[in-house]
Amino acid sequence: MGVAAPTGSPMERIGEVIESSTTRFTAGAYELLAAPPFGSLVRAQTRSAGVAVYGLVYEIRTGSKEPGGRAMMRGRTYSGRNLYDAEIYHEHPDLAEVLQTEFSAITVGYCERDRRYQYLPPHPPPVHYSVYPCDDAELGGFCESSDFFRSVLFAAQIPSDELLSAAIRATARARHDSRDYLVYAGRELASLLKDDYDRLTAILRRIKP
Amino acid sequence: MGLDLTALGRQVRQMSGATALSAATTNERTSRVVARYREATGAEQHWATAANISRETANWLLAHPVEPLDTARNRPEIPVSYALVASDGSQIDLDRHGSASCYLINIGRVFLRYGENPLARLSSEPVLYYREEDLYLSNGTRRVPIEGNYLSARRDVDEGVALVGLADEFLTDDIPCLALQDGTLIRWTLAGAERFVQDHFLGRYLAYLDAMHERGIPVASYISRPRSPEVVGTIRLMLCPDVDVAAGKGANCSECSDLADGRDPSCSICQGLVDTDILAGQLSEGQRGPLFISMSRINVESYREHTIYFFHMRVGRELARIEIPQWVAQDPDQVDLIHALMYDQAGRGGGYPVALERAHEQAVVRSADRRTFQHMLEASLYRAEADASASAKKDSKSYIKG
Repeated sequence: MGVAAPTGSPMERIGEVIESSTTRFTAGAYELLAAPPFGSLVRAQTRSAGVAVYGLVYEIRTGSKEPGGRAMMRGRTYSGRNLYDAEIYHEHPDLAEVLQTEFSAITVGYCERDRRYQYLPPHPPPVHYSVYPCDDAELGGFCESSDFFRSVLFAAQIPSDELLSAAIRATARARHDSRDYLVYAGRELASLLKDDYDRLTAILRRIKP
Repeated sequence: MGLDLTALGRQVRQMSGATALSAATTNERTSRVVARYREATGAEQHWATAANISRETANWLLAHPVEPLDTARNRPEIPVSYALVASDGSQIDLDRHGSASCYLINIGRVFLRYGENPLARLSSEPVLYYREEDLYLSNGTRRVPIEGNYLSARRDVDEGVALVGLADEFLTDDIPCLALQDGTLIRWTLAGAERFVQDHFLGRYLAYLDAMHERGIPVASYISRPRSPEVVGTIRLMLCPDVDVAAGKGANCSECSDLADGRDPSCSICQGLVDTDILAGQLSEGQRGPLFISMSRINVESYREHTIYFFHMRVGRELARIEIPQWVAQDPDQVDLIHALMYDQAGRGGGYPVALERAHEQAVVRSADRRTFQHMLEASLYRAEADASASAKKDSKSYIKG
C-alpha cells in the first residue's frame, strides 16, 4: 500500500511526555479530563526535527498529582448544598491545578521526514517533549499498512483486543473507503490469529460495521 | 534500637486515665469562668481599661475587648465572586553538621478566584541563602546567626513579601479580595530578641503590611484550634481582688494579695483554660465572636496602625481564631467580608481554608525532597571542588554499623 505524505499537522499539542520507554510512553494532558480517546493515534515529537513517534492510546487516568494522593468526594458541600459534576470544578478552581489527566500509548511506529515505519523507533520520545493528536488524514495514512496489528495483538499488559478494535474502528471512520478498510483489516486479523479462532471472532464482532 | 513501644504503651494508658479524670473538674471550672465572663457584658470599657493598666504587671496575656463580650454575629452573605491570595512557607534550617553553611526557604504561593470566572494558580518558589549577610545579622559589633526562631521570622517576612507580589500579579479585578496567611500575624518569636534583630525583621514585616494597606487589600490570618489564653487573661482580671480601675490599680502578680494571705490566687480557677473554652458556648455554626485587641507586648508597642485584632468563628466543632490588622478591624464592611470569606474558605476546604491547605501543599518539603536537596548540594560542592564532607557525627548517624 502507498504511503501518504505527512500532513504537517497544524493541530495544537495536547500533552507532554512524562514517562518514556522503547515500547510505550505516558503523557500528561495540558487540560484536565481532556485526553485523546482510547484507541486514537497520537504523535510524540523527538529531538530530531523530522522524526516523530506514533502511539495508540491504551489507558487514560486522572488522579492526584501528588504521589499517593487521592481525590476526595466534593458533591455535598460543608453547608449541605449538592454540587453535580462540572459544578464541582467550577466551585473548586484549584482542582485543575492539583489533579492531572494522563494517557499512555503503546508505540506502533514512527515517521522520518515523509516516510512512515510501523516498527519501533531507534529512540523513544524524550520526556517533556510534546504530544499531538493525529487528524483523520494522518490516521488514514498511518493505517495504510497493518504491520502494527501484530505489535498490538501481542503486547503484554494492555487490553490489546479492545485497543486494536478501537483503532480499526477509528481508522475506518477516518477513511472514505470505510467498508473496504474493515474487510481488509478483518482479513489481516484472520491471518494473524489463524490459531485462535475465539479471539479472532471476538475482535471481528467488535469491528463489525 | 528505636522506640520501645511496650514501655511507651503503659505510659500512654496511664496518661489517658489521668486525662479522663481531669476532664470532669475542668468542665465544672469552665462553666464558672464562663459565667463570670458573661456577667461582664456591658462593662467592656471598664475591663478594657483594666487590661491597659495591668499590661505591664500581670503575668499572663490579656485581650482588650472592642465589642460587647456576648457578641455572636451571624455569617454575612458570601459574595458571588471573590479572589484571594495566600502563602505559606517551609524551611530547611542551617545544618551545623552538614556540608555547607546555607538554609533554604520554600514559599508556597496560591491565587484563587471564585464566581463567574473561576481560576487558580499554585506555585512554589525555593530560595537558597548562603551569603554572609543571609546567614548572620550584624549591627557592627554583634553578629547573630539566622537559625531556629530567627529563620522562622525570616520565613514569616518572606511569606508576607510573597503576598505583596501575588496581590500585584493577580488581585487586579474589581471584586472583593483578601490576602491570607497561616498562623498568627503577631511575631511572638521576636519578642525576646535583641533590639536590632527585632527591628530588622519587624521593620520588614510591617513594611509588608504597609504595602497591603496602601493597596487596600485586607490581610487576615487563620489559626485552626488556637490555644491562646488572652481572653482568659482578661477574665483573670475580673477575678483578681487587687484590680481597682477607679483607683488606676491593675493586677500586679508580683504583689498578689491572695498569695500574701496564704491562699491560692483567685484567678487560679482559670488555670489551663483557653479562649475557645470561653467562647465555644456562645457561637453557633458560622457565627463570629467579639473583636479583641491582643495585648501582647510586641503588638501593643511596635505594630503602629497594624495593631492586631482577633475574633473567633465557629466552623463545625472547632473555633478558629482570625487575626486582622487595625486598619481592617476598624472598617465594619471589611470585617464582615473577612468573616464571610473565611467561612466560605473553611467550608470549601472541609473545615480548614482551602487556600491555606493548597499553600501548605506547595510549600512543604518532604523528606525525600530533603534528601535529594542534600545530595544535590554535596554533588555540586564536590564538582566545584569545595569541601563537601559532613561532620563525623552526621556520618555516624547515617546507618547502623554492625
